[in-house]
Amino acid sequence: MTQLDPRVAMHMSDAAVSVALETPEMTLNIGPQHPSTHGVLRLVAKVDGERVESVEPVIGYMHRGYEKLAEVRTYAQITALVNRIDWVAGFANEIPFIVAVERLVGVEAPARAQWIRLILTEMTRISSHLLFMSSYPLELGAPTPLMYALREREHVMDLIEGMTGGRFHPNFNRVGGVKPAAGGGANTKKVIQDLPAGWLQGTRDAMDKVDAVCDELDDLVTGNELIQARTVGVGVIPAEKAIEFGMSGPNLRASGVGFDLRKHEQVLPYDRFVFDIPTGANGDCFDRFVVRLLEIRQATRIVRQAIDTIPSGPLQAKVPRILKVPAGETYVRAENPKGEMGYYVVSQGDRIPYRVKIRSASFSNLSVLPWLLADALLPDLVAIMGSLDFVLGDVDR
Amino acid sequence: MTDSPSDSPHPEAVTGGDTVATEPSPLEGLASDLAAAIGAERWSATNGTVRIDVPRERWTEAVATVRGRLPFFSWLSAVDWSRTVAVGDPAEGTADFEERFEVLCRLSSVTSADAAIIATTLPKDDPVIDSLVTVAGGAEWHEREAAEMFGIEFRGHPNLTKLYLPDSFEGHPLLKSFPLLAREVKPWPGTVDVEDMPSTENREAEAMVEEGEE
Repeated sequence: MTQLDPRVAMHMSDAAVSVALETPEMTLNIGPQHPSTHGVLRLVAKVDGERVESVEPVIGYMHRGYEKLAEVRTYAQITALVNRIDWVAGFANEIPFIVAVERLVGVEAPARAQWIRLILTEMTRISSHLLFMSSYPLELGAPTPLMYALREREHVMDLIEGMTGGRFHPNFNRVGGVKPAAGGGANTKKVIQDLPAGWLQGTRDAMDKVDAVCDELDDLVTGNELIQARTVGVGVIPAEKAIEFGMSGPNLRASGVGFDLRKHEQVLPYDRFVFDIPTGANGDCFDRFVVRLLEIRQATRIVRQAIDTIPSGPLQAKVPRILKVPAGETYVRAENPKGEMGYYVVSQGDRIPYRVKIRSASFSNLSVLPWLLADALLPDLVAIMGSLDFVLGDVDR
Repeated sequence: MTDSPSDSPHPEAVTGGDTVATEPSPLEGLASDLAAAIGAERWSATNGTVRIDVPRERWTEAVATVRGRLPFFSWLSAVDWSRTVAVGDPAEGTADFEERFEVLCRLSSVTSADAAIIATTLPKDDPVIDSLVTVAGGAEWHEREAAEMFGIEFRGHPNLTKLYLPDSFEGHPLLKSFPLLAREVKPWPGTVDVEDMPSTENREAEAMVEEGEE
């Protein structure tokens, strides 16, 4: 091995690199402005040739101090804040917060409102995962899937916008229900509040398109030899590490832990629907990709069932106009597209919370990075980082 | 927050199996089991949240024990109970509360809905607690965040540097005594929503919104 020409050895396996090449340690700054960082994340990597010795993520470039801001806002105003935590899943961020407040107040949203919440949450999941389907192959050097995934994502975004009025920041939930249909204004009481006309049929059609693009992505990406060479066996996270670091969502399930809060928490009526929890076997980048692709299919399955069974009735429960939340504390979590999103809300009986702790999925998912990237190869760094599907707004809050 | 087991918080909200709470709530069973396992006397199971209070001397030991049953490290954070309030509301009607830090750590199961918050109390003048990094690697970033935001020192933490804030930042932003600079410079334009309007009291008395009713 040692007599190999170094230029040849460089292209051989990692073992050969370390034997044949003696390289000085170098510090490499990646980011904060780098397309693969999904926001502004800086990595300080100590590299020895192609091998990463250690990585220190530097976060905080997007820290907006939402926990402090929440302490001076009413509960209704905070829903506008929590939209912006994980901005590709704005709607899903609202659910645990609103349910936490509802639990403290002691109201429950009417069934129709709960169904609408559930449909929109699943559509948010589809849109978030489709964004991953487009960005991840791009980071691996395959720009084509982006065109397919974003095309269909746009249908989903249009429907979310049609219902809520906002593509990314719906601010659609109210304590005890969902916002009356757009356009009611001051006369909402007299206007029939319901879904926009044709919305359910439009959603059904969009789900068919999403399923079709999943097939296309399956053909384009999953079976692609180059993608597999870049991802299979790369960035393996064993289940016990994932659990120790609090990794949740598809990242945890790719490591073989079939845990999904939709099956365990009663935040939305998921118990009325039939769906599976896809899990991976190896916890590598490829599994994390496949689990998300399968989750899109499950999400369309849930949305179809929900459209078939959506009950009629009011969208809003009776809630005092000036909402004073009784003193108490609660932690409510729900399955965000990225994992466990939760809010620990402490109320002192006022219209403003005393403390709101935001538990965001990407923060814990990213905290595994120093452990995961130690001893990785430099070309795998972006592949591993991208596979975690974090959003910096969700990390920094 | 109660010191003893209490009934399900909102029995009237129970409909068609949508909520967790039933007669002797499974949450209370979990709470008393865990409290017995770590020898804690104070626990509660209100609002769907199990909480167990331990003295800070037994913090790491208690969390490690609970992690045997609830291995998933969800989060760690703190609450500043303080009467010196720079922004927001002074805690209302609770003149009897003791100024303190609460440190909370949430652990959960990955096979069921079981989960618990382990809590401890630190005096304001001595905010020092043992680090959980040896118990769960996930604690590292959460403790760095709590340290910079509240000024709590985590003894035994390998790298207790600032996580979000710039290195030169002074103060601990999530302390109740820390001013929110944006409000100091310019009053909040949304004050009208926060303060009582002259007419709101009547409305509050009359008060229930009928929207959505047929």
